[in-house]
Amino acid sequence: FHRVDPYGFERPEDFDYASYEAFFSRYLVVLTRRAIKWSKLLKGKNSIQKSLKVKRYIRKGIPNEHRALIWMIVSGAQTNMEENPGYYHRLLEGEKNDKLVEAIKTDMNRTFPDNVKFRKTADPCLQHTLYNVLVAYGHHNKAVGYCQGMNFIAGYLILITKNEEESFWLLDALIGRILPDYYSPAMLGLKTDQEVLGELVKMKIPAVAELMERHGVMWTLVVSRWFICLFIDILPVETVLRIWDCLFYEGSKIIFRVALTLIKQHQAFILEATNFPDICDKFKQITKGTFVTECHSFMQQIFTDPGSLSMSTINKLRETCREKLLSQG
Amino acid sequence: SFQSSDFLFKFLVIGNAGTGKSCLLHQFIEKKFKDDSNHTIGVEFGSKIVNVGGKYVKLQIWDTAGQERFRSVTRSYYRGAAGALLVYDITSRETYNALTNWLTDARMLASQNIVIILCGNKKDLDADREVTFLEASRFAQENELMFLETSALTGENVEEAFVQCARKILNKIESGELDPERMGSGIQYGDAALRQLRSPRRAQAQSAQECGC
Repeated sequence: FHRVDPYGFERPEDFDYASYEAFFSRYLVVLTRRAIKWSKLLKGKNSIQKSLKVKRYIRKGIPNEHRALIWMIVSGAQTNMEENPGYYHRLLEGEKNDKLVEAIKTDMNRTFPDNVKFRKTADPCLQHTLYNVLVAYGHHNKAVGYCQGMNFIAGYLILITKNEEESFWLLDALIGRILPDYYSPAMLGLKTDQEVLGELVKMKIPAVAELMERHGVMWTLVVSRWFICLFIDILPVETVLRIWDCLFYEGSKIIFRVALTLIKQHQAFILEATNFPDICDKFKQITKGTFVTECHSFMQQIFTDPGSLSMSTINKLRETCREKLLSQG
Repeated sequence: SFQSSDFLFKFLVIGNAGTGKSCLLHQFIEKKFKDDSNHTIGVEFGSKIVNVGGKYVKLQIWDTAGQERFRSVTRSYYRGAAGALLVYDITSRETYNALTNWLTDARMLASQNIVIILCGNKKDLDADREVTFLEASRFAQENELMFLETSALTGENVEEAFVQCARKILNKIESGELDPERMGSGIQYGDAALRQLRSPRRAQAQSAQECGC
């Protein structure tokens, strides 16, 4: 294995090459099997219909060569792009909001400095692509504009699609449809979902909820990055992509499944914490190690570990949590 | 390495996006300049023990995301902060103009008594300066802030900023202006001080607000 991963990220100095190799040789067998299944499913066509079979296939992972296409199709981004030819380029050619452009520029050098493709010196330099996608999006969705975190998400989309316009439409699918209002100035959807997670933990992992309560640790402190960055820079790249496969098909519910699995799996470890900073530290630790690196078994766990999680439960909790937040002002 | 402390202070680092808040914190804790990190999302925190006039003070420092809309999220961490570094970038007038808003927030949400040091960061970029030293020091005086120009790149005045802020808090404790036993003061007795506090009344007061940080 190289010092730089296939997506351009430099591996950290303490990267455990031996155990990664052990995992990857096993995962390669899975990838090969899935690739064969997917090529039979697609039969050389560039289309699929949503079905239980496709859902099952997606949960088992989309092969990298089909990932961009499948994300485009199942998220509706493909349809939007086809129905609005030239729209993306018109956004780029139009008049610009200086404040928005300035905010985006501030973050250019601070988006994946550990990725060789995002360096100023890279050729082609993905910073330009990222800048375009974010500027276009900010002018397309003026209510949201630019929120920190969108840069990381757009960055991943660019790495996977290797296509500026597709990245734009996928970003629109996520922010405009799949995620409930995480990035608008009031960030109400984000705050709501953090509270919803708190409620779900109360129901499913009460001892951890009690610990948080006892030490006055607000959920936002330990999980805001999970939601805002959709696990980028929290979990390993390959694991994030597997989560996003399901996110594009099944929606934002998947974020709760991942969060609950991480917490439940490490319940005993978290409960060892005896004070506030300790708890914060534990929540950092639980996103590292073999459990999350082994993305295939991790993705199986998220559908079993947290138990049933119906959309109606989540919707109800979202409603009550949102009302509570609004009444608190 | 383990070192016991006499006091624990909760500190905030606030200010606009891109002013170098995380770099100041990193320089303070690691004595190194770090410019190869993703920007902060939400809140990160670090801690360090400093010697202030013979007393060991543990600083628990909360580093916040600077983008305006994150303020509604990060505000919830302000409560009970004893000190703050309020950071602007000397090469950006816009970050300086935002100071009043940050100040209002800090005093309203943390505590009226919060001790704040204004840091004009990126002192090393003097050629691109948009805010003069004089102007900022006047602002600091008018608003009862301490003031330093800092450089997270060279390390100039970074340790000083944290230590001066801690010293002022210690002075206020010694003069009786601040009471560590008051809830929400952002101050707690450290483990070293605890060992000396044998009287049951004080021990009780401590356990009531203990968080063992």
